[in-house]
Amino acid sequence: MATDADIAALIGKVALRDRAALSGLYSAIAPKLFSVCLRILKDRSDTEDALQEVFVKIWQRADRFAATGISPIGWLVAVARNHAIDVLRARKPVSDSIEESFDIADSAPGPEAETVMRGEGKRIDRCMEELESDRAMAVRSAYVEGLSYQELAERHGVPLNTMRTWLRRSLMKLKECLDR
Amino acid sequence: MTKPDQSEGDRSRDELLAGEYVLGVLSLADRARVEARLSRDKSFARIVARWQENLADFNDDYEDVAPPARTFSKIEARLFPKNSFAMELAAAGSWWNSLLLWRGLAFASLALLITYASLQSGWIGNLSPSQPLVARLTGDEGTAIGLLAQYNAGNGQLRLTPVAAKVAEQRSLQLWLVPGGGNPAISLGVVPQTGEGTVEIPAAVRPRLKDGVTFAVSVEPLGGSPTGQPTGPVIASGLAKNI
Repeated sequence: MATDADIAALIGKVALRDRAALSGLYSAIAPKLFSVCLRILKDRSDTEDALQEVFVKIWQRADRFAATGISPIGWLVAVARNHAIDVLRARKPVSDSIEESFDIADSAPGPEAETVMRGEGKRIDRCMEELESDRAMAVRSAYVEGLSYQELAERHGVPLNTMRTWLRRSLMKLKECLDR
Repeated sequence: MTKPDQSEGDRSRDELLAGEYVLGVLSLADRARVEARLSRDKSFARIVARWQENLADFNDDYEDVAPPARTFSKIEARLFPKNSFAMELAAAGSWWNSLLLWRGLAFASLALLITYASLQSGWIGNLSPSQPLVARLTGDEGTAIGLLAQYNAGNGQLRLTPVAAKVAEQRSLQLWLVPGGGNPAISLGVVPQTGEGTVEIPAAVRPRLKDGVTFAVSVEPLGGSPTGQPTGPVIASGLAKNI
């Protein structure tokens, strides 16, 4: 099993256009990324196409990995999840929810509270336990399966707006808990 | 209820938006808007990165599933097309743009096949006199030209016999040796205008014709490249192998 350091080194070599490193990275991580795409897209043929796209993106974007500051496997999974979710949302559109002028404005310039990345990872479980179990389940399946608010609402038998409120409040509670 | 400080309000909206983005519940258009902001707003990008890190424990739910065996070769075929060495050559000059121009022309789809190149003593020292060197050169699509290339150790000549040649008349085909490792291509000479005949390999180049080198054929102005490097589209390329 490749360690984080191994994976990070492979990503670095891929950024330098090392084809052997791409092959090594594929061997190490493709089963995980295939699983990510399969859980989200469900269909194996779509998933195979998605995996190809994901590795093309990894090849093209490997030089940006270092700047993200997240773990190498976390970065690779994020590339795969983002691609698979984009494919899913393109296939089955959901309504927009961002209020343009209000929500998407850039951060105001000025002294900025430097967010130091902390070893918060393992604390998510404890924080999830503080949520009501159906809300925690909704959060987790949104992430793992890429479910939309609408699909989550149907699965849990609650109105769409209720589900939106559930998840947003859950995110804020998680944030609060993780900051403690 | 006190109204929260403006920046504090912005901050919590950003937290929520970043969390929703990482969770994956946003629409495609909203995701694109978030990504556009990510690329220009470092502070926001940090918030997203932290959500990614915090929620990464959920990644444990993705248990390995082996992808189909053919997938990696498909990825390689997409990233490294067979003629990708031609793109490496492109880095050395501006002729690549002219390839786009040439694509429309009939001979741009030529494929050259050097099916046989006899290698004998004197090419490289450690090969036995009878050990042949073979390069199979293929182009984009449609084989409009086939060449039999055979080296005569006695006079240092590479004999070319075309199967079919449909090259526009006012152009020449030029044969190149691509040493690899980013070194510039070395001209092996211009293919005779008839498409048939011999290319005399310069004595200094002969030791470099060995297993693992790449042969390439480019379309050049009549008489050959004016610059000493390929200036026209590479219509065929192939790796030489001892057989």
